[in-house]
Amino acid sequence: MNALELLHPVNPTSVASVDSAQLGALSHELATEHGARLADLFGDETADGAVVLRAVYAMDRERRYLILECPLDSDHFPPLSDLDPAAFVEECELYEQFGVRPAGRKRLNRVLVPPHLASTFGTPGRRRHHQVARDYEPHVVSGEAFEFPFGPVRAAGWESLYTGLVTTGEEVLDLYLMQWHKHRGVERRLSGLDLERATFFVERTDGLSTVGHTIAFCRAIETLTETPIPDEAQSTRTVALELERIYNHTASVAAVCQATGLSVGQARVEIVLERLLRLNAAAFGHRYLFGIVLSGGVARGPTAEPIRRELGALLDELREVASGLLGTNSYVDRLEATGIVTPEEAHRLSLVGPVARASGQDVDSRRDHPADSGDEPPPKVATRSDGDVLARMQVMLAEVDEAERLIERRLDSAGPARKPVQPGAGDGFGWAESPRGEALAWVSMTDEGRIRRARLRPASVRNWRAFDDAARAQNVFTDIPIIEASFWLTVAGFAR
Amino acid sequence: MTDPNTELEQVSSELRRQTLSIFGRSLHIRTVDTGSCAACESEIRLLAAPHYDLHRLGFFFTPAPRHADLLMVTGPAVRAADNLLLKAFEATPDPKAVIAVGACALGGVYTEDELVHGAVDRVLPVDVYVPGCPPSPLALLQGLLVAVDRLQSRVAALSLELDGGAPR
Amino acid sequence: MAFWFYRGLRRGIVTTRYPKGELDPWTRHLPTAPAFHPDRLTPELAQRLAVGCPAGAITTDGRELVVDLGRCTACGRCLELAGDAAAPSGESLLAAVERSDLIKRIPVAGR
Repeated sequence: MNALELLHPVNPTSVASVDSAQLGALSHELATEHGARLADLFGDETADGAVVLRAVYAMDRERRYLILECPLDSDHFPPLSDLDPAAFVEECELYEQFGVRPAGRKRLNRVLVPPHLASTFGTPGRRRHHQVARDYEPHVVSGEAFEFPFGPVRAAGWESLYTGLVTTGEEVLDLYLMQWHKHRGVERRLSGLDLERATFFVERTDGLSTVGHTIAFCRAIETLTETPIPDEAQSTRTVALELERIYNHTASVAAVCQATGLSVGQARVEIVLERLLRLNAAAFGHRYLFGIVLSGGVARGPTAEPIRRELGALLDELREVASGLLGTNSYVDRLEATGIVTPEEAHRLSLVGPVARASGQDVDSRRDHPADSGDEPPPKVATRSDGDVLARMQVMLAEVDEAERLIERRLDSAGPARKPVQPGAGDGFGWAESPRGEALAWVSMTDEGRIRRARLRPASVRNWRAFDDAARAQNVFTDIPIIEASFWLTVAGFAR
Repeated sequence: MTDPNTELEQVSSELRRQTLSIFGRSLHIRTVDTGSCAACESEIRLLAAPHYDLHRLGFFFTPAPRHADLLMVTGPAVRAADNLLLKAFEATPDPKAVIAVGACALGGVYTEDELVHGAVDRVLPVDVYVPGCPPSPLALLQGLLVAVDRLQSRVAALSLELDGGAPR
Repeated sequence: MAFWFYRGLRRGIVTTRYPKGELDPWTRHLPTAPAFHPDRLTPELAQRLAVGCPAGAITTDGRELVVDLGRCTACGRCLELAGDAAAPSGESLLAAVERSDLIKRIPVAGR
């Protein structure tokens, strides 16, 4: 069985049913011969309680997503993370949610389910009893090193996140994260909901990537129900998504200034950030762009006049401050060679978004998996190869410039447009390039138009894995907030 | 014989007056996230930004619960966060106040289930409720000022009847 | 360092005057909880509003519509459903000391 043969001639997403042996062989072929990346791995249950594995491969060269569905006949599945370390987090999630684990004796980490819920926690859809608490990766500390627990409650206005720092004093030897303090079980809640309510929850999974995640989710619904959205709605979605990208990247620059102690730079960038959020409110009625994207299109179009009047001037100001920052040697010194994610690591972990692009990975789902097959030129993708904090900042600033161009191109054609969606049974897959990277959604619906199973894979699920690599070795304590600010992920996106 | 409810009200407003005089004019704030979507956190961070500058009003963020007068809590009180929430509350010395921020913390969005309490006041006594999704930094400022009673809460006087009805 | 000083001076003061003075004009763009015309609220509409609210902020017993401002996310679905029976209340500063101050009741007076 050849992977290319499985691809549908036209559809951007192909689905193929395989068995465990074929899954193992195909994953090998996809990784080695086609340069495909394992974009997601998740589980599902059939009506009779059997577990189905779905592996989503992004074949960027062929501009396709390939979903391999593998019904499991035992509690074990091929250890995909041996080939694709990126899949490790998803394998741990699978064990927590469905009680199935990769073959072999690899120890799994706790990722989402909090300790007090160990054995009775139900899956998205049905109850299943299994022992989650027993398996975890021990953190061995010896010699002069000690483990310094930091969090989960952190400084003013930062999300709850437990960081275990293994150190001999100043240098970071190892670092591990625990993000289950924010697990709300969004995927579980989505089961049984109608589309309106489901969209409401998807929006609030990660409030700083709401447009990206909602677009991915609604695209899955639109694919499932075969509802192509009007061009007007596509333009509105692009404008909203790029506005979201702009304010997030600006917030990241402000956070890096805060982490390096450059208060004046921080203040100047925060002025721009606040004005951008007010622009969001003036253009779309919400500072964080909630409530715009719905299945079948959009709930409203942008009020173009504030965008035309203010966006250019705001971004000029941002660029002025950024050039001042990059000309401040004491600032740049803190960023260069800090938090390096090497291109090899970025490839191995299948990172996405600006973090990946700053480490030489030329991935962008807007260009590789375009939403509309129009004659629009694809967005320019900025990459750097240094993989340090400075590279990430430069990639983000370049993306802000490109976002401004994209908004300008689509603003005139944007408007409120929505096609009615006829919900019915079926599966659909959707994606969007959120500010943090490629966000994926897979949805299965019942005949009555309710969600049977929804899978959300925000970019944060992927990229947090690189955080410990970036923080280790050559970095000191005070670098960690800088690295976190340059990644600009959310714990909410991971913990869902 | 006074109605016990009236007595209770009198006692609690006297207590409030005493608490306010102890607070004085400056407050230190500790933020605690119990599972928010991160939008509330973004608005909280902007309180220190130039457009809002909470320092001019005498508010400061502190990383240490021992210095805090106020706990600003976001999120629907995920049960996994019970420990950290209660520890932060206990580590904060009296007199203190708890501000619940955002619709999640006030019981909207997430219903109670085995993962989530659904509202912060199911875990901690809450002194000020700040609605919004997320509440803008101005709404947060109002919440802070209500906490020190510099501004009378206008919400009691708000009516949602469009044809001039009194608030009910 | 002179760059920051002079640019900063040129930028001027952007800080809001709140709590003094009028509320910043940009706040009129913020979404707000609904307010209703009681005589356009029918029991049937009230029921639909209660069912349609994704945050669980609206309940009704047919005689009264109860809106919990605390749970309301100002998502606007009820405004859309209610048509001319509702309009945004326009109030986004809603901090309250008593949780009950956030529960508002509107008579369902329509037929």
